[in-house]
Amino acid sequence: MIELKDVCCAYEKSILENVTFKTSKHLTVMGANGSGKSTLAKSIASLLEYKGEMLFNDIPLVSLSLQSRAKTINYVPASLQSYDQFLNIKEYLLMGRYPYKSALQDYSEADYKIVEEIIKYFDFESSKYLNSLSSGQSQLLLIAQALTQNAKLTIFDEPTANLDPKNSKIFLHELKKMMKKTQTILITHDINLAYQLEGNILFIKEKEALFFENKHDFFNTKTLKELYDVEFSISEKGVLASYE
Amino acid sequence: MNKLLTISILLILTISAPFVGILSLELSQLLVSGSFDQNIFFELRLPRLVLAFFAGGLLAISGWLFQTLFRNPLLTPFTLGVSTGAVLGVAIVIVFGGSALYMSSLYLSLGGFIGAMSSTSLLIYFSKYLKSASSILLLGVALSFFFNASLVILFYMSSAMQTQAIVYFTMGSLATIGFFEPLLVTLASLLLLGFLYIRRFELSLLSVSEDSAKLKGVDVSYLTKELLVIASISIGILISITGPIGFIGLVVPHIVRVLYKKNSTSLLLPNFFIGAMFLSSCDLISRIGIAQSDIPIGIITALVGAPFFVYLILKR
Repeated sequence: MIELKDVCCAYEKSILENVTFKTSKHLTVMGANGSGKSTLAKSIASLLEYKGEMLFNDIPLVSLSLQSRAKTINYVPASLQSYDQFLNIKEYLLMGRYPYKSALQDYSEADYKIVEEIIKYFDFESSKYLNSLSSGQSQLLLIAQALTQNAKLTIFDEPTANLDPKNSKIFLHELKKMMKKTQTILITHDINLAYQLEGNILFIKEKEALFFENKHDFFNTKTLKELYDVEFSISEKGVLASYE
Repeated sequence: MNKLLTISILLILTISAPFVGILSLELSQLLVSGSFDQNIFFELRLPRLVLAFFAGGLLAISGWLFQTLFRNPLLTPFTLGVSTGAVLGVAIVIVFGGSALYMSSLYLSLGGFIGAMSSTSLLIYFSKYLKSASSILLLGVALSFFFNASLVILFYMSSAMQTQAIVYFTMGSLATIGFFEPLLVTLASLLLLGFLYIRRFELSLLSVSEDSAKLKGVDVSYLTKELLVIASISIGILISITGPIGFIGLVVPHIVRVLYKKNSTSLLLPNFFIGAMFLSSCDLISRIGIAQSDIPIGIITALVGAPFFVYLILKR
């Protein structure tokens, strides 16, 4: 259960003020470009500084050691970027086990086993270099590393932005599986993707974050028109924006 | 193929280094105690090889460290101003140390070491006020420029002989007598090698990105400071003895990466040994090359290394 109390965070141009919410379900974060969705996500993951209080299962995040924080919250960036050109898939996935490793010691047998299983599940070629992967494959690799890290809360930052429909479908499948086991936060622009996920919705608009306990409070034509300033039509199949 | 060939050539040059020089040694005389040949071998040639070997290894792994730590392929062991600090220290000893002093290499080394350590202390002191690890880098570059400017002012204050002594120091030299200096450099290089080995997992996470390391629970700012301090101490000791030797720290990590095609953090030992053999080989070439005179080692490392480096880049 993640809880934010009067959280303020700022990065470059985006500023968020007094963000307060509490949820133990999946959370989808939406909002305009540059509204501060990633800023909020990175603050929750402690990559950026913030004011206010953040708690996970009633424990303040600041009181956790770096190691247990890594086991509690993980952030998956929008794309896979690595300075090292010759890192391969297996080595990259093994890094997800770092928070579980004893200091100064090598990764354990169990860590290697977990990585092997994930490689088998995703049908990866373990010796392939990261820079030789397609964007679909590297997105899957990001999810795979999040699975090896197995944090209690995983935040995905626009994971489908660079994906074709087929890979988006694969991603959605994996996300839904993950949602059953751990808590997840998804940042996305894709209204239809958000529509298909159960859970709460956080909409960020002009420094403020609006929390929707029930997703149907968000997915109605009146609210959407107010928030996006665009007409929408909603059917069982999805949400359609009108660009007329 | 490239890898095997390169390593074989470097190994042959390194092993043959102490046997080759302006004076040719009689192999049969080496085992005769007290012979002239044996003295040359054990008092000059072998210490020089040990010094070159561990200096090369240390320079290569410090270049590797800076490039990995800051994810910037252009960094060298000298980027943080440690080297210019050492040169300034030596220059101050030469200019203000009185006429008798500048002949003594021990005083020069001491000046170099104090210079290197002052520059490191300044860096660590200022780094307390910095938020991101990469600002340390900018700070180092600024310090380096400041020391360089101070050095130029010293040039204007010095006599022709003093200027010559400073310039000679800045070109680097592996000349040594006996095992005291080689032993110091060996210890300095093993110190850094040990620390880097212990921190290999954290460095591997940093070689992806700073965020990636933070998300896995690495204390990036502590780690950066710790490794910078150890590296600066090691490099400070090295420079105070040999002067700055360029190029190795820059290119060896790249050469090793292209030869091995593996993630760079698994290549700590190859970096150390190829750097070590590369400097030993360059030293051999500098001693027997043009006109059989002792050409400054930094010039040979660049002269030999640059074309080889270009070849590797083009072939990739």
